[in-house]
Amino acid sequence: MKKLFYMVAFLSLVLALAGCSDDSKASEDGGSGKSDGKVELDFWVFGSAGYDVLVDEYMQENPDVKINLNEGEMSDVHNNLFTSLSAGSGAPDITMIEVSEIAKFMQAKDQFYNLNDYGAKDVEDKYLDWKWQQAQSVDGEFQLGLPTDIGPTTMFYRTDVMEEAGLPTDPQELSAEISDWDAYYEAAKQIKEKTGKPITDSPELMFSALRDQAPEQYFNEDDELIIESSPYVKEAYDYTTKLIEEGLVGQNALWTPEWGSAMADGSYATLIGAPAWMIANVKGNAPDAGGKWSLTTIPEGAGNWGGSFMAIPKESNHPEEAYAFIEWLLSPENQLKSFQNNGLFPSAPEVYEDEEFLATTDEYFSGAETAKTFAEAAKSVKPIYMGVNYSIVQDELILALTNVAVEGADPQKEWDAAVKRIKDQLARQ
Amino acid sequence: MAQPQLQPQTEAKSVPAKPSPGKKRPFFHLSEKKKDALSGYLYISPFYLLFAVFGLFPMLFSFYLGFQKWNGLGEMEFVGLQNFRFVLSDPIFWKSLFNTAAIGIIGTLPQLIIGIILAYALNSALLKFKSFFRVSIFMPYVTSTVAVAIVFGVMFNSQDFGLVNVVLNWLGFDSVSWSTSEWGVKIAISTMVFWRWVGYNTIIYLAGLQGIPNDLYEAAKIDGASIRQQIQYITIPMLKPIIILTVFLSTIGAMQLFTEPLVFLGRSFREEGITVVLYLYREAFSNMAFGTASATAIILFFIIIVLSSINVFFTNRIGR
Repeated sequence: MKKLFYMVAFLSLVLALAGCSDDSKASEDGGSGKSDGKVELDFWVFGSAGYDVLVDEYMQENPDVKINLNEGEMSDVHNNLFTSLSAGSGAPDITMIEVSEIAKFMQAKDQFYNLNDYGAKDVEDKYLDWKWQQAQSVDGEFQLGLPTDIGPTTMFYRTDVMEEAGLPTDPQELSAEISDWDAYYEAAKQIKEKTGKPITDSPELMFSALRDQAPEQYFNEDDELIIESSPYVKEAYDYTTKLIEEGLVGQNALWTPEWGSAMADGSYATLIGAPAWMIANVKGNAPDAGGKWSLTTIPEGAGNWGGSFMAIPKESNHPEEAYAFIEWLLSPENQLKSFQNNGLFPSAPEVYEDEEFLATTDEYFSGAETAKTFAEAAKSVKPIYMGVNYSIVQDELILALTNVAVEGADPQKEWDAAVKRIKDQLARQ
Repeated sequence: MAQPQLQPQTEAKSVPAKPSPGKKRPFFHLSEKKKDALSGYLYISPFYLLFAVFGLFPMLFSFYLGFQKWNGLGEMEFVGLQNFRFVLSDPIFWKSLFNTAAIGIIGTLPQLIIGIILAYALNSALLKFKSFFRVSIFMPYVTSTVAVAIVFGVMFNSQDFGLVNVVLNWLGFDSVSWSTSEWGVKIAISTMVFWRWVGYNTIIYLAGLQGIPNDLYEAAKIDGASIRQQIQYITIPMLKPIIILTVFLSTIGAMQLFTEPLVFLGRSFREEGITVVLYLYREAFSNMAFGTASATAIILFFIIIVLSSINVFFTNRIGR
């Protein structure tokens, strides 16, 4: 019965491939192995962070450490991290976590090392307070991650549209002209009258820019929904719907092709609440619009959109080496390098004192002093508590705003419906 | 995925190896008959092993999760039937069920009827370049769903410069807001489903048509039957098993409609276009409520059983 033998052999092969791949993977790149006396660290990052240069530099200075850099899409990295933590195997030694996801992983903080145990407290004062607190437990005892870049927001604007509307095109003058939201509303009416164009492209950005200035947003620190009692979010919503109803806000949804092509067409005046990393999006969508864009401050203060942290999952067998590496990687000097190489805006304020850094200008943005404007914005950001269910509230409010903008729905009815949907979904968490 | 692929049946039907005629050698002291049976089971085992790991286990785990409250990372908490109560009392769930049914009917019913007509044409002796047309009709099925959804997303752009809106304006109609209006969304998604699956059904029907013996048609012609009578009394009754198959696949596929609305609507999960599976996906991977997501899956499972039974009842009457 040779056939039987082959059958058994084949089967064991299938089983070996199907069942055991996890084990072999874990021993190969799970970071637990030491090869040639070297400590191997798996390092997951997303976006075009450009950390490869710094990783090479670190490995040359520390020949006993080998770092396996693994770059992926942002959502993939978070999903993979979530799955591997949930399954209990496959997580890297060091992972990048975006600010919108950090609260979710904070709920599973027993799956991560507390960086305070490795010396995070000693470097705390090198970073912006609000940024540091985003990766901290509410009681301040647990530090989940070290800060990477941040996304302080500014107002990008089209100089050609401003000129046509009879508004100043110089950043300082425009900032003085549109100093508060009443002035922004007046400017919106003037732009509509002179050019027929809306002042901004999407309801979401308009709303986010206002909401980010509030001292509290959707939840309090006990994760209770406060949008019905706290006035700020509703005020932002009402201001946005007022502008929408008067035809002063465009109807593009973020990240759609129409939204991208509107950047090139100049079919609106301002991209409000745009962080440093948005520069790459504008240049990518509108490669020929150089000199037609510029940027200045947002009326009444900046918010923050995006930015990440580096965390060390409990599955790592080398937390000390991993911590030493991220402390080095995210030091002010290296954050400056990441800014120069890839435009990651530093979260360490001592960089903002650097002459060379402050002198950074961008020809595409009509020679505006980009680094200085963002640095000013970064210093004015207020620390806010986002909470783990932030995106549920965010998605429903954006849906309500979209209905007002696109379908002409009644703002108050949409708000009530959104609050009801939010409560329904929160009950399940 | 709008319809499940035909499950390859070959593994399950593999015939046990014939007893070898040569010398008898002792092998684990089994009788020849038992050895045959054993090797037979070994032949079919890969499918069942893989199914147990990747099919059965997730199903049972999902059933278990339906009674738990779990965010994917923390501790599970037994909550009894609470998840089912949440889902069944959620108007958006019922809306998603209605959407699924509406898109299913708009997307698949014309597809099946036109599929039969196309298959009849492809099978006709009058048609030239048969293989060319057969391949062309099947092409949409091979196209990636995501690519289809993106291309249709550009065509069904809500603004005035969207391709479909340009044609509508040209014909004197108003632009339709394809991504936000109640029926615009459904029609756009149904069109994608129709375009992608009509060729798939046509090819299945074509295979069915070619299985009908020509003698029957010849005999009918001699007896003076018209084309209409030939179709009514020969083609449709003989095609019945195939029609039942396609109706089943389409129903299950329509209930599982997911990729097209997800790519077309993005992550906004608008009420006008959310389907049951999209609702489930939102619960699990957007809201991190794996309990209610699993409860939705179980409810969907029972809905599919009920619909399939109704299908059996009605399709049995075809051609009687």
